[in-house]
Amino acid sequence: MKIAVTIWGNRISPVFDASSNLLIAEIENSIVVSKTFKTINPDTPETLVNLLTHLGVPVLICGAISQKASDTILQSRIELISFVTGNTDRFLESFALKNGIEKGFMMPGCSTHYCRKRNPGATIF
Amino acid sequence: MKNKIFGPLNEETTKVILECISDGVFTIDYNWEITSFNRAAEEITGISRKDAVGRHCWEVFRSNMCEAECALKKTMEEGKPFISTSGYIINSKQKRVPITVSTSLLIDKSGDVIGGVEIFRDHSLVEDLRKEISAGVNIEDMVSTSSAMKKTLNILPQIAESDATVLIQGETGTGKELMAKAVHNISHRKSAPFITINCGALPDTLLESELFGYKKGAFTSAEKDKPGQFSLAHGGTIFLDEIGDTSPAFQVRLLRVLQDHEYTPLGGVKKEKTDIRIIAATNKDLSAMVKTGEFRQDLFYRINVIAVKLPPLRQRMEDIPLLVERFVSRFNIRRNKFIQGIDQKVLHTLMNHDYPGNIRELENIIEHSFILCTKGYIQPAHLPIFLNAEPLDEDPSIADETKSGDPVRAAQVKLILEALKRNNYNRTEAAIDIGIHKSTLFRRIKKLGISL
Repeated sequence: MKIAVTIWGNRISPVFDASSNLLIAEIENSIVVSKTFKTINPDTPETLVNLLTHLGVPVLICGAISQKASDTILQSRIELISFVTGNTDRFLESFALKNGIEKGFMMPGCSTHYCRKRNPGATIF
Repeated sequence: MKNKIFGPLNEETTKVILECISDGVFTIDYNWEITSFNRAAEEITGISRKDAVGRHCWEVFRSNMCEAECALKKTMEEGKPFISTSGYIINSKQKRVPITVSTSLLIDKSGDVIGGVEIFRDHSLVEDLRKEISAGVNIEDMVSTSSAMKKTLNILPQIAESDATVLIQGETGTGKELMAKAVHNISHRKSAPFITINCGALPDTLLESELFGYKKGAFTSAEKDKPGQFSLAHGGTIFLDEIGDTSPAFQVRLLRVLQDHEYTPLGGVKKEKTDIRIIAATNKDLSAMVKTGEFRQDLFYRINVIAVKLPPLRQRMEDIPLLVERFVSRFNIRRNKFIQGIDQKVLHTLMNHDYPGNIRELENIIEHSFILCTKGYIQPAHLPIFLNAEPLDEDPSIADETKSGDPVRAAQVKLILEALKRNNYNRTEAAIDIGIHKSTLFRRIKKLGISL
């Protein structure tokens, strides 16, 4: 399974709308087996959706995201896990093991509603 | 006054001041962890102090400046304060909040740097005012939680980029012109003019001279050349509203322009090139009109390159709270009031209306309520009578006004009649009561046709 994470150095980028770096990690048997990096333009989330679809990445993980950008991503078949924070490597290890988000990786203000969303009509490919 | 404060403020006084001010303030230590977070910071970010303290500042503040242009980082590195840097944060409701930021070092009594302080101001109101003045429309101005509308709004940037002709269909009052402006404002043509022509409001010959212009001598009063809107909008967008109301003859001329990108002004002999984008709109079913021969099939296909359908408000009732919030905020700015919102009973009433006039009707209802509501929340009694929000014991003349279908006018009549009643029909006293000059009241009574 592949997942994409918007990053800032060795951290998850705090704001998707201002992030320009993307890490694509491939997870096999609960271990991260490969990582590739891409540059993105956060002003055109639809282009990012096309890229992820083309690369066969079904999950996007990011920090805070505006409603507009979130809506654009959720119109596609991509699952969005937003308001995530922390060190990228530690997060990936944790995610690969549990396929979920530990509370410690959630941004404050996000504890009341789990920020994992998917277009109800979408199926994960 | 025994305890006068002289000299440096003590810790308690500083705390009180920080809690009272409307600017968000937080402090950080050398690990970039938040050490204090004031009440305004809680309000602007939507994050409680309990959740914020101890977290890294970028996890709480979530600004577009955090990665590349962190003002606190610059302050820490250069040892000097930064004043009024602009940006935005993403609050806990996923809203982009425009802010300005000032930063400074925190220095203890012995002169050692112990961290930094960031002060930020919510600029939403200033942004709203700026938009109100410039009348600019962005996609963000079109609010919706309905999935049908969201789908349309999400593809709007691609539509704008394509430069293709767009046909916007929707009932009256659904926001067709707003959408056309939004498309123009995010397209590469945004710095060129956006011109609206209501095709249904002009007779054929006038519409042609308006759009294509005329040459000197084209008709009796044509004493000099007059450029048409196609020429004035060069490089921009022309919005043709009510395109379904145009005559077959005009449809032929428009088709020519769309096909050849050129036109001949009235009385002219030379064709003129045009570089414009056409956005057409109608509240009629053009495909049905094509079948009955009322609208040219070839023109229909020409303008129907990208079709956008705006659903009526009754099919997106979930948007009413959001739209009401937007209108309340807009009228607060326009009328210099501080209405806080609407009462739950009012929302219930609004949700039970079917809005034949769509969003425009909802806007008029809120405008009506703004005239009657002076403070706090809009109550059922402030709504137009036709909504039957509350059993009313009204003057029959007011009810007649409401039946006329103009809620704003009805509200003005109601306001004046009630003020007159309260003041035993003394016009001077009534004018003082509603805060206008006596002569303004006389003028309004005459204009509104109020018989006393």
